[in-house]
Amino acid sequence: MSEVLIHCHKLTKHYKKGTLTVTPLEALDLDVERGEFLALMGPSGSGKTTLLNLLAGIDSPSEGVLEVCGEDISRLSRGRLARWRARHVGYIFQLYHLVPVLTAFENVELPLLLDNMSRRARRERVENTLALVGLQDRMHHYPRELSGGQEQRVAIARALVASPDLLVADEPTGDLDREAGDAVLELLERLGTVHGKTIVMVTHDPHAADTAHRLLRLEKGRLLEAETMHHAG
Amino acid sequence: MPAKAIRLLLLAVKQLVRHPVRTSLTLLGVASGMFLFTTVQTMHTSLDRATRVRAADTTLVVYRENRFCPQTSRLPEYYENEIRAIPGVREVIPIKVTVNNCGASLDVITFRGVPPGQLARYAPEIAVIGGSYNDWKSRDDGALVGKQLADKRGLQPGDAFEAVGVRVIVSGIIDSPLPQDNAVAYVHLPFLQQASRHGLGVVTQFNVRVEAGHDLKRVAQAIDTRFKSESEPTVTQPEKAFFAQTARELVDLIGFTRWIGYGAVLAVVGLIANAVLLVVRGRVRENAILQTVGFPESAVGFVVVSEGAVLGFVGSCAGIVLAAVFLAWRGLTLGNEGQTLALVPDASVLVSGLVLALVLGMVAALGPAWVAMRRPIVESLRR
Repeated sequence: MSEVLIHCHKLTKHYKKGTLTVTPLEALDLDVERGEFLALMGPSGSGKTTLLNLLAGIDSPSEGVLEVCGEDISRLSRGRLARWRARHVGYIFQLYHLVPVLTAFENVELPLLLDNMSRRARRERVENTLALVGLQDRMHHYPRELSGGQEQRVAIARALVASPDLLVADEPTGDLDREAGDAVLELLERLGTVHGKTIVMVTHDPHAADTAHRLLRLEKGRLLEAETMHHAG
Repeated sequence: MPAKAIRLLLLAVKQLVRHPVRTSLTLLGVASGMFLFTTVQTMHTSLDRATRVRAADTTLVVYRENRFCPQTSRLPEYYENEIRAIPGVREVIPIKVTVNNCGASLDVITFRGVPPGQLARYAPEIAVIGGSYNDWKSRDDGALVGKQLADKRGLQPGDAFEAVGVRVIVSGIIDSPLPQDNAVAYVHLPFLQQASRHGLGVVTQFNVRVEAGHDLKRVAQAIDTRFKSESEPTVTQPEKAFFAQTARELVDLIGFTRWIGYGAVLAVVGLIANAVLLVVRGRVRENAILQTVGFPESAVGFVVVSEGAVLGFVGSCAGIVLAAVFLAWRGLTLGNEGQTLALVPDASVLVSGLVLALVLGMVAALGPAWVAMRRPIVESLRR
């Protein structure tokens, strides 16, 4: 029997914008199994990124149940939530968001800085992760010295380095050309199938969504339909 | 320091080092402020050393009553023997003082005329580090020049040196643990008496060493009582109290500079706070990323505070070292009414400056750190 890694029940997020109350996500029910590769699609403002931020523990729900990796993260304090993120989630951004003054190695090392690892173990882990994304020869380059595709692979390495259970990716190919985008999608797919990572990816690109096992469509904060892809594992 | 804190500190250092222009400009400002602070503090500690009477002090200065300038304090030289006869007096030396400027001045030259046979006995702590003491003793126009004065004027043994209408030959360079000795030139008493045209037999003051520190007050009273009914009555005080009273203009002036020191410190705090705040504002997204990858707010705050502390510490190191080198190189002395105050930085000023700057750097960065810690991650990532 498959293990549910993400469990959302009546998950709602609303916030104040002036006198208005905006509800980007409303009463969403969702279960995601461990090792699943899920794609989220929908028009702008449909709540995709809000859902991703909630799953990654960088935003908190207004109502509902949100259990990720066996923890009700809506109840965690800010400090405990930070530790939880370090252990369980890797976040991949559309614009990579690398720290410009740090090398590829140092960017990937960031999530391990607060870990109780020896320097040698840390270096090995970072080098292995950079090798996994095919960038072992670029580890001492700064982001400005890398192409967009390479930057995104560094960002993926940074998301992977602490061996999280869950990878969340916000339009990871949105800023890349087709060739670089395909390489990133191939990498994500491999992380799911070979390394057993659970991946939740927001995308506008149907071609990117094809890589996933399951596609969910969101509109106005609500789940419209679920579609199982032909190559679901 | 725990390993995690060291790693975060290194991350802060990388952030600073890899923004070299911004960091250099901030360090320049901090160094300038701490240069000023160290100079002002050195003036204060030098003044404190020169004016605070301590239990171990055993030196009295006998001056003409109601006179504060060496040009007007004229005492008969024969008082020496009568002072020597007072119980508790260990040593006494008559001194004729001639200065180029009685007012407060940065460029004061002081000649002290003393009996050549008595100087070594009265002040055995004075060491001749260049030239010869015997040469000075045997030469009427010879001068033993304090090392600070010699450095400032570029004087070497054998050089001729003229000031205040007095021309001397440098017989030796002296070094003394008493800073004011290093800023004056000792010459023969009869020579200075004649050169200054006050004539033989007239001196400016007597310096008296008593047997024990607790005897200072009693001996001072005994001296003043002895000469109370003479035509030239005296006032006798501990040397440091005498300095504080005679060089009052200098004391007031230096007291005022304390505010300049405080101003420099405030400027340093403002500069670091501004620099770190700009850094935090320019790094909103990066801080959000650190939090996204699992840095707790406290770790983000620690990195920001570390940057402030490093800026404060490194900038102040530069400023303090520059100030110490500058003061040693220029050999600055402040003069007033024939008293000289050598500005000599000591270790306590340097260490307290460093500690202060480190604390100031951290304090200045607390506000920006709070800003960085409390900003919601999602909002920051959108910027």
